[in-house]
Amino acid sequence: MNTGEPLFDSNPDTESREAASPAFRALIQSLVNEQAYAVLCVQGGGQPYGALVAFAFSEDLRHAVFATPVTTRKYRLLCECDHVALVIDNRPDRANELMDVEAVTATGRSQLIARGREFDELADLLISRHPYLRSFLRAETCALFRVDIVRFLHVARFQEVHQWIPAARS
Amino acid sequence: MDPGRPLLIPLDAPGVPDDRIVGGKAAKLAQLMRAGFAVPRGFCLTTWAYEAFVIDAEITAAISMELGRKSMDGMRWEEIWDAALRIRSMFLAQPLSRQLRETVRESLQLFNSSVPLAIRSSAIGEDSAGHSFAGLHESIIGVRGERAVEDAVRLVWASLWSDAALLYRQELGLDPARSRMAVVVQEMVNSDRSGVAFARDPRDMRKDHAIIESVPGPCSLLVDGLVDPDRWEMNRATRGVVAWLPGQREDSDNKPLLEPQDLQTILQTLLSVEQLFRWSPDMEWTGRSDSLTVLQARPIATAVPDEDEKRSWYLTLRPNDARLKELRQRITGQLIPELAAAGETFAAEQLELLDNHQLADAIEKRSQTLARWKKIYWDEFIPFAHGVRRLATYYNDAVQPDDPYEFVGLLRDQALLAAQRNNVISELARQLGSNHALRTAVEELLAKHVSSIQWPTFRDELLKGGIAADEFVQGFDDLHERFLDVTFDDERLRDRPGRLLSNLVELSQPSSASESHRVSPSNCSLELEEKLLAAVGLERRAEAMDVIETGRVSWRLRDDDNLLVARLESQCLRALDVAAKRLRKLGRLTGNGHLNDSYLVLLVRALRESSTDLITIADSIKSEKPQLSLTSPGQTPRQLIGQPASPGLATGKVRRVSGRDDLGMFRRGEILVCDAIQPTMTHLVPLSGGIVERRGGMLIHGAIIARELGIPCVNGVRDAAAILQNGDLVTVDGHLGIVTIGAADFDLEF
Repeated sequence: MNTGEPLFDSNPDTESREAASPAFRALIQSLVNEQAYAVLCVQGGGQPYGALVAFAFSEDLRHAVFATPVTTRKYRLLCECDHVALVIDNRPDRANELMDVEAVTATGRSQLIARGREFDELADLLISRHPYLRSFLRAETCALFRVDIVRFLHVARFQEVHQWIPAARS
Repeated sequence: MDPGRPLLIPLDAPGVPDDRIVGGKAAKLAQLMRAGFAVPRGFCLTTWAYEAFVIDAEITAAISMELGRKSMDGMRWEEIWDAALRIRSMFLAQPLSRQLRETVRESLQLFNSSVPLAIRSSAIGEDSAGHSFAGLHESIIGVRGERAVEDAVRLVWASLWSDAALLYRQELGLDPARSRMAVVVQEMVNSDRSGVAFARDPRDMRKDHAIIESVPGPCSLLVDGLVDPDRWEMNRATRGVVAWLPGQREDSDNKPLLEPQDLQTILQTLLSVEQLFRWSPDMEWTGRSDSLTVLQARPIATAVPDEDEKRSWYLTLRPNDARLKELRQRITGQLIPELAAAGETFAAEQLELLDNHQLADAIEKRSQTLARWKKIYWDEFIPFAHGVRRLATYYNDAVQPDDPYEFVGLLRDQALLAAQRNNVISELARQLGSNHALRTAVEELLAKHVSSIQWPTFRDELLKGGIAADEFVQGFDDLHERFLDVTFDDERLRDRPGRLLSNLVELSQPSSASESHRVSPSNCSLELEEKLLAAVGLERRAEAMDVIETGRVSWRLRDDDNLLVARLESQCLRALDVAAKRLRKLGRLTGNGHLNDSYLVLLVRALRESSTDLITIADSIKSEKPQLSLTSPGQTPRQLIGQPASPGLATGKVRRVSGRDDLGMFRRGEILVCDAIQPTMTHLVPLSGGIVERRGGMLIHGAIIARELGIPCVNGVRDAAAILQNGDLVTVDGHLGIVTIGAADFDLEF
C-alpha cells in the first residue's frame, strides 16, 4: 500500500544531536565526494520537477554548485522559485543491497551567479570535480547556480535518518 | 616514478621490450638494435607516460565528452575533423608534468645537441600484421631543443585522435578509448641516399622478388611522396637485379642512385630483418653499403587489400604542403581562369541565332564542359579545400590559442564572389529602406506578378511609376548581370528575380533589437597574421606566409568554384530553355513542368531529327519526401544536439529552405533550417535570426558566414529537416550547440 511516505525518509523529523559531529559530517562529506551527480529538485506553479546535474560542494558543505543551459526547464523554474533540493545517493543496481544504500537530501535556496569573481571561483570548484565541463561553463548561455544549504537529511540502513542544519552550527 | 611503470625506456635497454608498453615501432627498433643492426639511438616514452599525461591534464573525460556528444556513425568527417582539432588543442594546451619533463631532459642530455631529432608515433597495435596505421599518426622530424621536443611529443600523442586515425579505427571496429600511444625519440641519421625496401613485391607478394626504392636525400622525401624514387626489382635467390626503373626527377642524370654493392647490402639487411622477425618487412633505411642504418621495419601492409585502400583514403585527409602548393598554382593560374572563361563564353553566345543542329551541338558541348568541370571539382578543387585545414593546424601548433578556431580570422576580408554579391544586395536593400515610395512600388509589383515576372519587365514597370528608381534599377541590373547567372535547385536565379526582390524587401526592414546586439568577431586578419609570424620566428616566416596564402586561396576558391560551376549549370539550363521554347513553338513539345537536364537527350534528338515523338515536360509537382517517423505518438523531441558553430542565442519560427520555392518565402528573423547553406543562397543568412543545418562542421559555408555576421548557428543536427517544420518555435543556442523546440515555458502537468 502506498502510504504517501517517501521510502527512505520515513521519519524526517528525527533529529540527532550527533548529526553535527565530525563523524557525521565526514559521512556526508564522503558521500558527496564519492558521487558526481545529484538529482536536482525544483518546482513551479505547484508542479515538482527533477533533473540530473553534475555538482560540487564547498569544503565546509555550506554551498553546492551546479550549471545548466539557460534554455532548459530547470533554469526557468529556478528563476521562478529558489527553493530546491539535491538528492545524492550511492544506490547499487541490485535490489538486495538496500541496507547498504546511503542517501543525502540537501535542501536550500538557489542563487543565479552573475559572471565575475564569484562565478569564476564557483566554476573552478565545479571544474575541479568535473574537468570536462570547462568549455560548457565558458559558454555565455551556461548559467551557474549556488545552493546555500539549509538542511542535510542523511538516510542509511533503509530508514535511519539524521538531520543536520549547517547554518545552525555554532 | 613507479619503477614498475617507467615513463621512459632507452631503445638499448636490456630485456625484451613489451610492445603493449612501448608500441610496435619502438619494440621492433629495440629488437633490431639488440640483434646488431645499425639503428639510430634513442628512447621511448612509454604508454605509461601517455596515460600519466592524459590523467594529469584531465583530458580523458574531455575527449569522451567530445566524441560522445553525438554518435560517431552520425558524424560527417568534417565534424570528426573538428573534434580532432579540439582534442589536438587540448593536448597542446597542457604542459608535461615536471617529472616527465625532467625525465625527458635527462635523456636528451645523452644526445649530441647539434643533431636534430625525429619524434615518431609508436601506438599499440600500430603496424601489426593485421592492419597498418602507417602515415595516420604523426611523426615529426628535424626537432631541436627541449621545448620543441615537448611540443612534438604532445602532437604525436594527439595524433592518436586525428580525424584520419579515428575514422580508420571506426572502420576496423577498434575502440579509440582503448588506444594508447608511445613515442620514439631518436637522433636523425641522414645520408645522401635513403629509401624503402620490401622483402616481397607489395603489389602481388611474390615470394621470389624483393623491391628496393631509393631517393637522393632523407627518407621523408620518399615517404611523403615528394620525390619519385629509383626502383629495383631484385631476385631474392640469385640476389640479381631483375629490373631497374629510374625515378622521374628534374635533376636526374639517368644514372642509378645506388651502386651494385649498395643494393647487395640493402637486400642482405632486408633478408636478415625478415629472418629475425619471421615476417616479410617493409624497411626504411638510409646510407650506403659501408654505413647502412635501419630507420624502421614493419610488416608489409597488403594483408587485406580493401583495408589498405581505406587507409590510403584516410591519408588524403592529411594535406601535404607540396601537393597543396601545386594545386594552388594550377587552380589559380589555370583552372579558375579557364572555368570563368568557359562561363563567359557560354553567356556571350547568342543561342537564339543558331539553327537546330548548331543548338543541339551547343547543348551537348555545354553538358560535356559541365561534366568535365564537375570532375575537376571533385579531383582538384575539393582536395584543395584542405588548405584551410592545413592553416588551422599550422596556426594552432605555433600560436596555441585558447580558441582553436581563432585562425578563421585570417580568412576574413577575402574578396569572395558571394561576399561581393552580398555587398550589392545590402546596398540595394539600403536603398529600398531609405526610399519608402520605391519600396512600396516594389512590393506592389511583387504582389501583382507573384514570382513569374522577368527582370526587364519588372524594371520597365518600376521606371514607369514616376518614382526615383534609377539608382536601384542600375544596381539590380548589375546584380542580374554579374551574379544571378547561377542555379539553385535546377533553376536559374535570373529567371525568378521576384524571389530575390522579396528578400530585398525583407532586408530593407529596420533591424530588430536582437540583430543590433549581434557581435562580429573582433580579431582582424592582419593582427592574426602578425601573431602567427611572431610565433614562428624569422626562420619560418616564408613558410608561414605560404601556408597563410594557401589557406586564404583555398577558402576563397571553395566558394568561388561553386559559383563558377553553378554558372555553367545555369548556361546549360539556358540552352535547354532556348531549345524547349523553339520546339514548343513548333508544337513538338508540351507540358508546363520544370525543365532540367534529364530532358537533354530528348531535346537534342528532337533538334537533330525533324520527326520525333511529342516531348512532354511533366508537371514538376515536388514529391514531398516521406516524413521520417522519428518519434512515436506522444513522444516529441525537445532538444536537438549539434555543433556550436556560431555563438549567440535566438528564438524564432522555423523556415525550411530546401528548394527554389522556399527562397522568396523567407521572412526576416526566421530560423533558417536547411541541409547546408549553398553559396547561391548565402544572401538569406543576414535575414535569419538563427541557423540550423544538417551538415556539420565549423568550416562549412554557413558556419563561417554566420560567425562573420554574429548570427547564432548550430550545425550537424542530424534530423533537423525531418523534425523541424515551418512555423515551429525554436531556440538556437549557438554557444552550446543546442536547438530547443517549443516555448521555453514550463508546461504544468494536470
